[in-house]
Amino acid sequence: MLDLHRRDFLRLVGVGAGTAATAACSDPIEKLVPYVIQPETITPGIATFYASTCRECPVGCGLHVRTREGRPVKLEGNPDHPINQGKLCARGQAGIGRTYHPDRFDGPLAKGADGNHAHVSWDDAQAMLVEKLRASASRTWVLGGDRGPSVNGIIDAFVAGVGAAGRVVYQPFAHDALRAAAGLVFGRTVLPLFDVSHADLVIDFGSDFLDVSSGSGVFSIEASRQFADAQDVKKHPDGGARLVSIGPRLSMTGSNADEWVPAAAGSEAAIALALAKAVYQMKKAHGQPLDGDAAAVETALAKVDVAKAAAAAGVDVATLEKLVKRVQHAKAAVALPPGVGASGPEATSAAAAVLVLNAVLGSVGSAVVLPEAETAPAPANGRALADLVAAMQAGRVDVLLVHDANPVYSMPGGLGFAEALSKVGFVVTFASMRDETSARAHLVLPDLTPLESWGDAAPRAGVRSLQQPTIRPLQDGRALGDVLLAVAAAAGAPGLPAGNTHDVVKANWGGENWRQALDRGGVFGATPSSGARVGSGAAQIAAGPAQLDGEGDYTLVAYAHSFLGDGSGAALPWMQEIPDPVTKASWLSWAEISKATAARLGVGFGDVVRVETSVGAVELPAYPRGGVRDDVVAIAIGQGHVQGLYASMENDGALGVARGVNVLSVLPATTDSSGARTFTNARARVSATGAFNRIPISQWTDNQRGRGLVPEVTLASLASPAHGGGEASHFEAGEGEGGHHEDGPPFQYDMANDSHPDQPYRWGMTIDNDRCTGCSACVAACYVENNVPIVGQDGALRHREMSWIRIERYVGEGDREGGNERRPHPDREEYGKVGVRQAPMLCQHCGAAPCEAVCPVIATYHTEEGINGMVYNRCVGTRYCANNCTYKVRRFNYFDYSRENWPGLLGMMLNPDVTVRGQGVMEKCTFCIQRIEGARQQAKDEKRPIADGEVKTACQQSCPTSAISFGNAKDPNSEVRKRSTDTGRSYHSLQVLNTRPAITYLAQVAREPDDAGAATGAGRSHS
Amino acid sequence: MTPPPATAVADLMRPKSIPRDSQINTDVMSVTKGVSWQWGLLLALALLGVGQAIFTLGYQTYKGLGIAGYQAPVFWGVYIINFVFWIGIGHAGTLISAILFLFRAKWRNAINRGAEAMTVFAVLTAALFPLIHIGRLWKFYFLIPYPNQRALWVNFKSPLLWDVFAINTYMLISIIFFFVGLIPDIAIARDRATGIKKFVYTVLALGWQGTGRQWKAHNRTVLHLAGLATPLVLSVHSVVSWDFAMSIVPGWHATIFAPYFVAGAIFGGFAMVLVVMIPVRRIFKLEAYITDYHFENMSRFILFTSLICGYAYGAEYFIAWYSGVEFEQTSFWLRAFGPYWLSTWIMISCNVIFPQLLWIKRLRTSVPFLFVLCVLINIGMWFERYVIIITSLSREYVPAAWGLYIPSIAELSILAGSFCWFSMFFLLFLKFLPIIAIAEMKELIIHEKAHAAHASGVEAH
Amino acid sequence: MPTLVSVFDLPDDAATAIRKLRGRGFEDIESYSPAPFEQIDEAMDPRPSKVRAFTLVGGLTGVFTGFLMQIWMSLEWPIKIAGKAYTSIPPYVIIGFELTILFGGILTLIGLLLVGRLYPRPLDAAYSPRFSAEEFGVVVKVGERDVAEVDGLLRSLSAKEVSLLDD
Repeated sequence: MLDLHRRDFLRLVGVGAGTAATAACSDPIEKLVPYVIQPETITPGIATFYASTCRECPVGCGLHVRTREGRPVKLEGNPDHPINQGKLCARGQAGIGRTYHPDRFDGPLAKGADGNHAHVSWDDAQAMLVEKLRASASRTWVLGGDRGPSVNGIIDAFVAGVGAAGRVVYQPFAHDALRAAAGLVFGRTVLPLFDVSHADLVIDFGSDFLDVSSGSGVFSIEASRQFADAQDVKKHPDGGARLVSIGPRLSMTGSNADEWVPAAAGSEAAIALALAKAVYQMKKAHGQPLDGDAAAVETALAKVDVAKAAAAAGVDVATLEKLVKRVQHAKAAVALPPGVGASGPEATSAAAAVLVLNAVLGSVGSAVVLPEAETAPAPANGRALADLVAAMQAGRVDVLLVHDANPVYSMPGGLGFAEALSKVGFVVTFASMRDETSARAHLVLPDLTPLESWGDAAPRAGVRSLQQPTIRPLQDGRALGDVLLAVAAAAGAPGLPAGNTHDVVKANWGGENWRQALDRGGVFGATPSSGARVGSGAAQIAAGPAQLDGEGDYTLVAYAHSFLGDGSGAALPWMQEIPDPVTKASWLSWAEISKATAARLGVGFGDVVRVETSVGAVELPAYPRGGVRDDVVAIAIGQGHVQGLYASMENDGALGVARGVNVLSVLPATTDSSGARTFTNARARVSATGAFNRIPISQWTDNQRGRGLVPEVTLASLASPAHGGGEASHFEAGEGEGGHHEDGPPFQYDMANDSHPDQPYRWGMTIDNDRCTGCSACVAACYVENNVPIVGQDGALRHREMSWIRIERYVGEGDREGGNERRPHPDREEYGKVGVRQAPMLCQHCGAAPCEAVCPVIATYHTEEGINGMVYNRCVGTRYCANNCTYKVRRFNYFDYSRENWPGLLGMMLNPDVTVRGQGVMEKCTFCIQRIEGARQQAKDEKRPIADGEVKTACQQSCPTSAISFGNAKDPNSEVRKRSTDTGRSYHSLQVLNTRPAITYLAQVAREPDDAGAATGAGRSHS
Repeated sequence: MTPPPATAVADLMRPKSIPRDSQINTDVMSVTKGVSWQWGLLLALALLGVGQAIFTLGYQTYKGLGIAGYQAPVFWGVYIINFVFWIGIGHAGTLISAILFLFRAKWRNAINRGAEAMTVFAVLTAALFPLIHIGRLWKFYFLIPYPNQRALWVNFKSPLLWDVFAINTYMLISIIFFFVGLIPDIAIARDRATGIKKFVYTVLALGWQGTGRQWKAHNRTVLHLAGLATPLVLSVHSVVSWDFAMSIVPGWHATIFAPYFVAGAIFGGFAMVLVVMIPVRRIFKLEAYITDYHFENMSRFILFTSLICGYAYGAEYFIAWYSGVEFEQTSFWLRAFGPYWLSTWIMISCNVIFPQLLWIKRLRTSVPFLFVLCVLINIGMWFERYVIIITSLSREYVPAAWGLYIPSIAELSILAGSFCWFSMFFLLFLKFLPIIAIAEMKELIIHEKAHAAHASGVEAH
Repeated sequence: MPTLVSVFDLPDDAATAIRKLRGRGFEDIESYSPAPFEQIDEAMDPRPSKVRAFTLVGGLTGVFTGFLMQIWMSLEWPIKIAGKAYTSIPPYVIIGFELTILFGGILTLIGLLLVGRLYPRPLDAAYSPRFSAEEFGVVVKVGERDVAEVDGLLRSLSAKEVSLLDD
């Protein structure tokens, strides 16, 4: 199945044991260790968990690494960690793949005379580096991301020790504008912390704060949690917080909004100031003075008014006035600053304006706080990068050490980093996996992955998170810290810490913290913070319309891909396979244009358009949608890699061919007033090319044809408990389902049914659509937990994706138009409206399952505990069950995925508790039965029934907003039971068919029905 | 249609002259004599087609069903279509040999042997497709309730399992019926053959001599088998139709399916009989025995069943609309005007519109026209199954999970292979067994002779 | 014992001959005909063929096997499927029916082979290919002294030819 020989495996097992037995020390036993003496911490078949830290993005969420026989098989959130509190986003889930990735270097490489990389020994490699350093230490630069306090310390010590020219901390998404804005407005250049949990109005200026995996904003998974709580209809009968999303495209965050204000890119500052002005004047009238430099604020506010803002934003004044009313009436409004996609040429002003708005709203100090100090070194802003490139260009850089970054890919094309790199005499990368930069490097010193090495993170003051290895290095790599220490020592550099990275980390943590850190994952304290007063800097905020680079009719919006982020996620196959939450597209790039634009260009879905800026041009398939402005072409950052098995087209047989396009490569290097890097900074010409490139879209349509698959309830219907219990689906869905009963309450099925009377359990699930943001963390978790294969671009094009759970995204009630298209066509979005409805769809484990009745060999049946069981070994593959499944959640193994789907060592990450399905059998969600059985064993040993909440399915565990609850529906006190029964929102999908599902959905709440139904009124087109 | 008196029939089919050693023996047996190069060529082509299909199947078994066009949500495709198509073809034979036998429709005698043979070969073809279709061909025996220690039995509530039993029963009974009918004729062949052929015929004839007790037992057996086969043939296609009707898929879940499928099967089957018999009669000069009279009766049957199909199509649409269920309405609306509109209109025109021309006597009796029409009807029937299966599956309850299915090369290669497989059997049959039920024909001829001899005339039965 | 082989052109003549011979008390008679003719079968043996008993037995065996098999197999390891009862008769009717037909058909075939003595064996000496053409044969074993008489009788019953098969 995977090319791992028995001996290797035993060695790894042994090593895993050793690693574990010694609390995973960095220098594990190298010998084969059979289980002659059982290591106390490892029992074969029982998982061992290690607390660690996720390094997929700078947030630094806490991890519990689930290891089996010394192999990490699953990453789960650390419940103790204050930021993610046991949750983990899609990107974090997929991060485990890096350790086993086929793209990993199997040892140091040096570029020979012929320009090709050749293997060298570590000693030689380090010697080469030492030699170069001796020659030109003063002309040496270190370029790379934040590695947490300990390793940062080593790097800084290295730079100082060898007398290098300096270190540039580089993060593509550096949030430098916001940092600068804080400096401008509050006089302290630190990243503010936002908390929306008590807000009653959230104004999103393109912050992407719900887009947890994108790394676009300063927000983390906790923002989603806070928002879901702020919206909880149980706690807030009035529906809780409203969300207004402002921006040129209906983003993933916007899809969850109550209102979308389709403002032109770059108008954030104007709108924020206009809102601030209205509130400021209102408060002033009520004699509530602003805490801060009122004069400065007034100068800033003087620059705008609603009319001007509306003009700049390209929306009608009424819309903005409505918004003004909202803000004025809100008791606890919070404005969230622009993220990557909204960082225009005036990014700092925009962010500053949003901060001022917050100050005026009085949320500074409560919902918006400034930490005492930054815990991580501030990443270089656009100007600093430009300086470095200039130095390289001028030949003033002889040696460039690159770590934790892929600048060749992620620097703006206008900066000319790639060209400048060729002027650098000696380029060294510490990449552990193939990427565009290491392809250009003279020396590659492969780093270890976070699961293999020591480190730590300090996400924010008061919170320190430890990163410990959970497996012996699978490839011949060495930890960055160790290499730097060794090289420095060899170069005779003074002032470096003794020992290796492990010692450094341990020393930094100090004795008493260490033990706690090892098992709890870190030290989690409160973040000392303080409010702030608006300073004189506020006066400098520019409100004028941003001047974009180049010419063309369209603004090129380069936003952060939900999963690929700044491009570092592209190597992870799951991040490519899981459909984008908004467009449902996967595996390539697409250009979002409005339907009007599409009509003007005469293009449809998949027709390739040419997007040309002053820097260059890219060609990619068009994706016409209603959710984008006419003057905008939006392209996601993250694709367009030419290196890597999955990141490039290599897996589809095209070596070195880019998968999708890298929009960064056509962006000018514009920096704004504070020198911050900007992304949405160019005008573009868009033209049709006549070519066609079909986009893999996982969802055929977003028109639910009035079938009420994802119904909505109004606050009014919630308010009257008499109409509770399924009224939602009745009212919303009845008409379309065609079978609703006029008389009496609608059919409501009791989840507790349909398990054996003698059985104490009936496993059931409740999914709260109102909390679901569509972030797809559950999907990623399911992929990893259940060994679900990925099918690649070709498979995705043929709708052969194997995911056991998917997020269905509909717009409005839908009508009976259309349906006769030959290709997927999600096209129901309407300009300026939201009306998006999202719900996870997975096996409903029906009590009267249509799939069971038709299976001729009883390969699928109803277990005594009410689960719809699937016996792979019994299945002959008639696929009748899939035809008869009304929810279309059954998957068929078209090929022997176990043979080719986990190349290289990827097979080692397979969950040993879950069968890898063979060719020709059906598969589907099992309610993570392996976890149920695990809990059962435990309970049995302790002679007690399985407790509520003891079994957590992978999807439930990862859900940032806890939208999913799972448990025993027969237990009247179980959470799942309570949630399924105690609201007026519960319904079953397609309950008119009476399949008696074990999953109860809680309908999404239409907080503002006016905006809810984009396309209501079921047209009787044909009956 | 009441059958005309035997004498009249005999009149219609009397060979021009009846010499001492039966003309019909020599006429019919002459078909099996000698091997023409055309026959050899056809057989070679058939074998070639079978060969390439076997290769495709091997590759599919190794690589996986992904090489077929399946994609969610359409998990049944050409293989199941072929299965239903061939099973349907089979029904005509049984109908002619069993049901018409019970109705004492003597005109069937001339064609029933060919029809029965066609039945057997069609069922042999159809029976392959469930195996080709399943994901794990090598586990097909899971479908059989064989005793095993783990008490793993099958699901008797699944329509697919009903299929397993229905198809196998049907296959065995048709073969038995076919063979029983053949025994006397094999004896004739035995008496006239030499060498190895004689040996084979001798074994197969089981020592038939046409003694009184043998004929009596034979008559009784044929009668009983006919009695058994009649409900069987009706049940088999009903069961096949329940593969669809028992499911919950919009467009499948309809009570009309059983009669609808049976009528369709007979319709397509009769067409296939004509497609096969018209060239055979022409090539082997059997006009004396298979007369235009038979063809006209056949075409009346076709017209009749075509009307039933037309009614069924209409009823489906009416119920879909009348039910008020949006799922059904959408499914049928898109059937006619969705991505698969072409297949639907091919089906309707070939199965309902064109056959109406048979109202015209001149066309009904024109052999070339019948041939063309019957080819069209077979195409139409194939598309009927295509429409029922594909369009319904591609547009089910969850619009997000809708899809589109297009047959792959692999599936088409196996489709072609199935026709070659069928032709192969039929070509061999032509050369080794009498294509016309000699004994039954002889019965009529001798009656006629007696009629001629005795002024009184002897009434048949 | 000598055997007389008479050949007829028409079934009725053959039938009359058989009846006459029976009337004369000759029991060992055999008839050969190219096609089934009831009058001959009747003359030979008026009782209905025993084959029908086989069919009945087969059918009954089939229906019982069918239902018992299904019920037993569903109950040996009861598994809940789609919330239905462990055993439910309506769906079992189909397989019960199919097995009725199957067993009935097979037993009928066996009946034919046994009753009709259809198994590979040497043909009767009296049999000739002309009987698989269009002529009818009536063969009777007679005592030495009756030969002439029976011969005359047969010829009077319009037998085309009567020959003495000496063995």
